[in-house]
Amino acid sequence: MVKRKLGALEKVEADLPNLQHKIRRDPKSYIEDFRAQHYQYESHREIFMAAPTAANDTGIISLRELIDFIAHVADCYPDITKDFPQQLMDILTQHHLVLEPELREKIVGSLVLLRKKDLLDSATLLQTLFPILITTPSKTLRALIFQKILMDIRASNAKSVNHKLNRTMQTVLFNLVTSDRVSSKGLWAIKLIRELWKRQIWSDAKTVDVMKEASLSENEKVIIGGVRFFLGGDKEREEMEDESSDEEAIDIGKVKHQTTINKKTRKKARAVEKAKATIKRKERKKGQPHPLNFSALHLLHDPQGFAESLFYKHLQNGKSKLSLEQKLQVLQLVTRLVGLHKLHIIQLYSYFQKYLTPRQPSVTSFLASLAQASHDLVPPDVLEPLIQKIANEFVSEASASVVATAGLNAIREICARQPLAIDDTLLQDLVMYRKSKDKGVVMAARGLLSLYREVNPEMLKRRDRGKDASMGLRSGEKKERRFGEDEVGGIEGIELLEQWKEEERKKKRAEKGLASDEEDDEEEDEAAAWDAWNVEDDEDSDDSGGWIDVQSDAEIDLSDSEDEKEGRPAKKAKQDGEDKDKTGSEDKAETKKQNLATTRILTPADLAKLQELRSQAAVDALVPGTKNRRGQTNTTRHKDDPLTAEEIEGLAALSAGKATREERIAHAKEGKTDRADHKSVTAKRKERKEEQGKSTTNKEKARRKNFFMTLGKAKSKGKRSLVETRNVLKAHQDRQKRGGRRGNLGTK
Amino acid sequence: MGSSSKKKKEKQKDFQKAKLKVGKAKGKPENFTDTSFKTKGITLTQQSLTLNAPTSNSQFSHHLSLLSSKSDSQRRDSLAHLTTSITARPVTSPLPQPVSVILPTLLPLILDANTGVRTQLLKLFRSLPAPDVQDHVLQLLPYIRAGMTHLAADIRVSAVEVLTWLVDVAGPEVVSCAGGWIKTLNCFLSVLGWHTEESAKWSANRASFGKSGSKGTPMMKVLIALGEFLNAGIGAPEPTDVEMGDSEQTPGVSNWEFPVGLAAVHMVPDTASPYAYLNLFGQPRDAEGEMYETWEDRYRVFSTRFMSAVERGVENARKEGGELGRAISGVSKVLKESSAYGRVAV
Repeated sequence: MVKRKLGALEKVEADLPNLQHKIRRDPKSYIEDFRAQHYQYESHREIFMAAPTAANDTGIISLRELIDFIAHVADCYPDITKDFPQQLMDILTQHHLVLEPELREKIVGSLVLLRKKDLLDSATLLQTLFPILITTPSKTLRALIFQKILMDIRASNAKSVNHKLNRTMQTVLFNLVTSDRVSSKGLWAIKLIRELWKRQIWSDAKTVDVMKEASLSENEKVIIGGVRFFLGGDKEREEMEDESSDEEAIDIGKVKHQTTINKKTRKKARAVEKAKATIKRKERKKGQPHPLNFSALHLLHDPQGFAESLFYKHLQNGKSKLSLEQKLQVLQLVTRLVGLHKLHIIQLYSYFQKYLTPRQPSVTSFLASLAQASHDLVPPDVLEPLIQKIANEFVSEASASVVATAGLNAIREICARQPLAIDDTLLQDLVMYRKSKDKGVVMAARGLLSLYREVNPEMLKRRDRGKDASMGLRSGEKKERRFGEDEVGGIEGIELLEQWKEEERKKKRAEKGLASDEEDDEEEDEAAAWDAWNVEDDEDSDDSGGWIDVQSDAEIDLSDSEDEKEGRPAKKAKQDGEDKDKTGSEDKAETKKQNLATTRILTPADLAKLQELRSQAAVDALVPGTKNRRGQTNTTRHKDDPLTAEEIEGLAALSAGKATREERIAHAKEGKTDRADHKSVTAKRKERKEEQGKSTTNKEKARRKNFFMTLGKAKSKGKRSLVETRNVLKAHQDRQKRGGRRGNLGTK
Repeated sequence: MGSSSKKKKEKQKDFQKAKLKVGKAKGKPENFTDTSFKTKGITLTQQSLTLNAPTSNSQFSHHLSLLSSKSDSQRRDSLAHLTTSITARPVTSPLPQPVSVILPTLLPLILDANTGVRTQLLKLFRSLPAPDVQDHVLQLLPYIRAGMTHLAADIRVSAVEVLTWLVDVAGPEVVSCAGGWIKTLNCFLSVLGWHTEESAKWSANRASFGKSGSKGTPMMKVLIALGEFLNAGIGAPEPTDVEMGDSEQTPGVSNWEFPVGLAAVHMVPDTASPYAYLNLFGQPRDAEGEMYETWEDRYRVFSTRFMSAVERGVENARKEGGELGRAISGVSKVLKESSAYGRVAV
């Protein structure tokens, strides 16, 4: 049936928007009219509730309009409309299945509007909408309600965190996921949480708990939703944060300048105000402390239990209905948990045994998972058969180069985490593949070699050890790490700081020209440093928000002079003979590690510099061409980052068949600095001028002049008489003397 | 190159003329489409093949269905047809369709934008037999109330007219049905603008919204309707009821011995829904939607909630004098009677 629309004439009579407008301006005078409309609404509601299914179009239209009207002005007459929200909620909960779609949407919208006007509290609204979200079969309504719920939670957490609401909502979601593990209703909880997690509105352990329950459910969709959250939720969050911080920077100076030139309108003035507000907000944001965001994997209460139940329920269990792809995702999560929290699930390793053949689909993912699952507390004898199997199945002269690469890379990744998992004969065998003809294999084998040069050179053949490793071995610096042995904790990057300090000191001495006289210098330095610290302290207490002047040479040496005393004999000894040299260098090695951290108090300035050096080092490591890229797997990758199948595939992932041309170009460009850095000064200047919208030089204009415009002049040049030519030449000469057309010599 | 000659022949074939032969049908062209079909019968939807005219009954239901038509005149004409067919039927014969079927289609028309439709509707209502309407008061009232509070003044007036008719036809049912007393009174007050002290004052510039109809008469109509409504609700009970207990000499039911005298109470009730007050199947009711079945209940509610507002309004209207003052007399009379009786009764 065709919907009956209100005709124009009818509208003139029943003009609710007009009344709404008048009520907004003067609620008191129009109270009678509002009351009449409220009665009208009541009667229509009565008519509708008597027979919700049999309601005709006119009735629905007028009810919808009345609901809209009352919702918009409800805040003016709170005592008359005190039942209104409840009535709307009743209609929605009881009849949402049979309601006409537009009316339904109007009711949802009105409820949200009432929430905005504070006539309804968030908890009630969410408790009304959420059950409908789960039960309704209408897709549009679900989308609408989902969006509204999300918006409401965001809005109520905008100014400060609304703990009460969050807690109730999280409990509701938790119950939703745990109450019926077979149904797919838990998907809504996942969707909601994922969105809120991305926006950093919910980032606590309880949220993670809900997702944990979701990944342990019986429904495949829910399981995968939960698992995906753990695997990708944090990355999504980071990206979102980057996006929001990347908003185009507003140049306030430019905006202000434009207003002085352009026509002054109210709109432009508003734009300036807006720009100012944005800048202010950004400044404030900068001043705020960075919120601590733990990744979801770290917020788990019982990672061991979680990983175990995931493994037994979805992987080990023969009845689980997950497809291979889904199983791989679960496996990824389990292994990441194992690697990250150093868990022990011994059966996990024997589970891998079955899948480690080159014919297994997406075997690289399995290999990556295996590598992820190994850490230095896994017993080597558990890993050894697996490595043996990889070596047998993948790495042989007969197997394809891609397969061999994958196998070698996988072995390297495992051994990087547990170096004891391989015996020396196998290792030496595998290292021999660096003489292979295929580049991928060569690279993989070299990776393995350089890894063992670093961690345990003794296992390599003597000639494979390389210079550094051999020297390290001889000096006793490089020792095999025993099982379960832990490195003595230090401060990350402390050696960088020390190195930098050494250089600074040298520079200073060179400036002053005092190569030998050290003691006085140090003492002076010391005094200066204490002063600097004190000054900083005062500043700190005054205004913590402002800038802190970091003095780069503010340092405190407590026992530096003693160190030097130790150091200097060593230097002398070097000149004396070789025997003493050895002992000296050993001393150095021992002291080097703890020198700074144990003998000095690091000032805030030191810590700031340390931070700077650390980030510098991280950047340097990424730039190609630097020599110290060994042990790449350890340094560049953060502990939290997952190991992907691409890394296992190595060079094969880049092979021509798989990557498009664009991808290859992008990859080649990846580490390179921007081409613009090597431009000429003129080109750079020109670019800058162009950016600022400034004009070009006359020379440039002449060069760019259209060829046809120059033709006429060239033609006439040929036709000039001798006298004309002479005049022109004379004038030219004259101009040259004066220094151009605008020369300052004056005319003769 | 045998194949090429073969191809040539095939190509040639396309351009060769089909030979016509004597005594044989002409060959069909290549793009011929077969449009013949077989069917057992052919139905033409546009044409009515009945020979006799539609019965009055079927015409009635047809016009009933036309009431939801888009065109104003169509609705009005259909209403007129329904009215004539109801009034023209023999007195003894029943309605072509029962009231319970007719009413649901009629009710939305109370709020119809067209004046002609509404006046015609009122005529149709008046032609309906009173006893049949009495059972459907509960369905009618919400629409009437919606009409009374409508933005358009004309619709308000015609809704009041409908209410007048309804009170006339089924007074006791109107005031005693669920929501019939308080909600309707509320609507009256809002139509008259008597709700608050401020809005009741004649000097206060009552910013009446929407197009007001012709001045004067609507107000009078509303006041008269209010008088009748109040009379039905809390007017002095009929003299026969009052005298029932007192007159001893007249022989009647009331004079009988104790158990027999109350026999009417124990008889099977003669109303359509005698247990409506139990509200077994409906929505839970609040104070406003409650049924007030006895005179005492209604008077109590009226005196607590509406008495002051109505008296104030009456007073102001009387001061205004003129037609309005005369129209108010009905209301004030009911008030006086009821308060006198109320003092006796309570």
